[in-house]
Amino acid sequence: MRSCAAHDVSSLHKLLGQRGERALFGPPGELARQRRDAFVEGLQAVAPALIGTGAWALVTGVATVKMGLTLPHALAMSATVYAGSAQLAALPLIVAGAPVWLILATALIVNLRFTVFSAGLYPYLGHLSLRRRLLLGYLNTDMAYLLAMRKWSGVPAASSTSTARTWYFLGMSAGNWLVWQLLSALGILLADRVPQGWGLEFAGVLALITVVLPSIAEEASLVGAIVAAGVAVAADALPLKLSVLAAVVAGVAAASATEAARRPAGSGA
Amino acid sequence: MSELDLDLAIAGLAAVTLGTRSFFLAFGARLALPSQVQSSLRYAPVCALIALIVPQVLETGGVLQLSIANPRLWGAAVAAAVMFKRGDMLASMSAGMAVFLLLRWLA
Repeated sequence: MRSCAAHDVSSLHKLLGQRGERALFGPPGELARQRRDAFVEGLQAVAPALIGTGAWALVTGVATVKMGLTLPHALAMSATVYAGSAQLAALPLIVAGAPVWLILATALIVNLRFTVFSAGLYPYLGHLSLRRRLLLGYLNTDMAYLLAMRKWSGVPAASSTSTARTWYFLGMSAGNWLVWQLLSALGILLADRVPQGWGLEFAGVLALITVVLPSIAEEASLVGAIVAAGVAVAADALPLKLSVLAAVVAGVAAASATEAARRPAGSGA
Repeated sequence: MSELDLDLAIAGLAAVTLGTRSFFLAFGARLALPSQVQSSLRYAPVCALIALIVPQVLETGGVLQLSIANPRLWGAAVAAAVMFKRGDMLASMSAGMAVFLLLRWLA
């Protein structure tokens, strides 16, 4: 495992070169080394999940063009918005010529789960400068938050250095962002040649299953997942993917209630 | 939709997404959440992903399909079982995809 990490560090070095490393991690020294190691650790954490990111990006890219957006608009949307579910929700409205405020309101509601995630990230990343917090916010996706919580939750924020946390998040997000942008652009460019019925969307669903399963490790998260599944199906008819937000609220409540009930009596709050 | 409206919509979508994703990161100092709530948020991503996954597995075309004739259900079940047993993402996705394509082809 150690030698594998060392190998990844050296291949990153080859990829970026001396100058690239300096631009990314700062002047050589202890700080640059800490940043680079945390960055590489983040890349390693996200690597197995990137098949899933790629499948979703391809599906989103193809759909964007099939629904009728021109190439430059599709590419601009993918690069700046960087949110598959919000893009897919907004596209039919754009194509139908809905008013801009309605399109934005839709995206706002579809994206509310990320607002919940941003509250979860605050204790770990909230001390950074506003500019950095906004950059990390842009990178705050389902995948990044899931992996960040898998690493950090249950461990007090003070036990890892701020540099390690920030650069771990950046490494993870850089891998995820790069694969998303490349495959989304590929989907946009090849949209007319990708036939329907390859079952590509289902490959995306399977990828999400493999990503989420390792996080359902104890009773509380299992209860949360079951409740969230039930609510999502029951509320599926709600507009604007409000079912996802409802499922998050109900699932989180159920999981923390389970956790509280299982906590040995007398162990405090 | 006019060219200008479309540009406006795309810029607006980018701004709205950035705003929702960084809301508490940006304003967290002023809007402190109770620590109880804060710590329970680690369950949020699992719930969100499950809420995105399950309807897509159970439903086709907006109709709830719990029947065994739903290839997605079997593909997902096999993928989950392989992931649980072996912990190998690629093996899990390949197995799930194979079952899904086979059943769809048979149907």
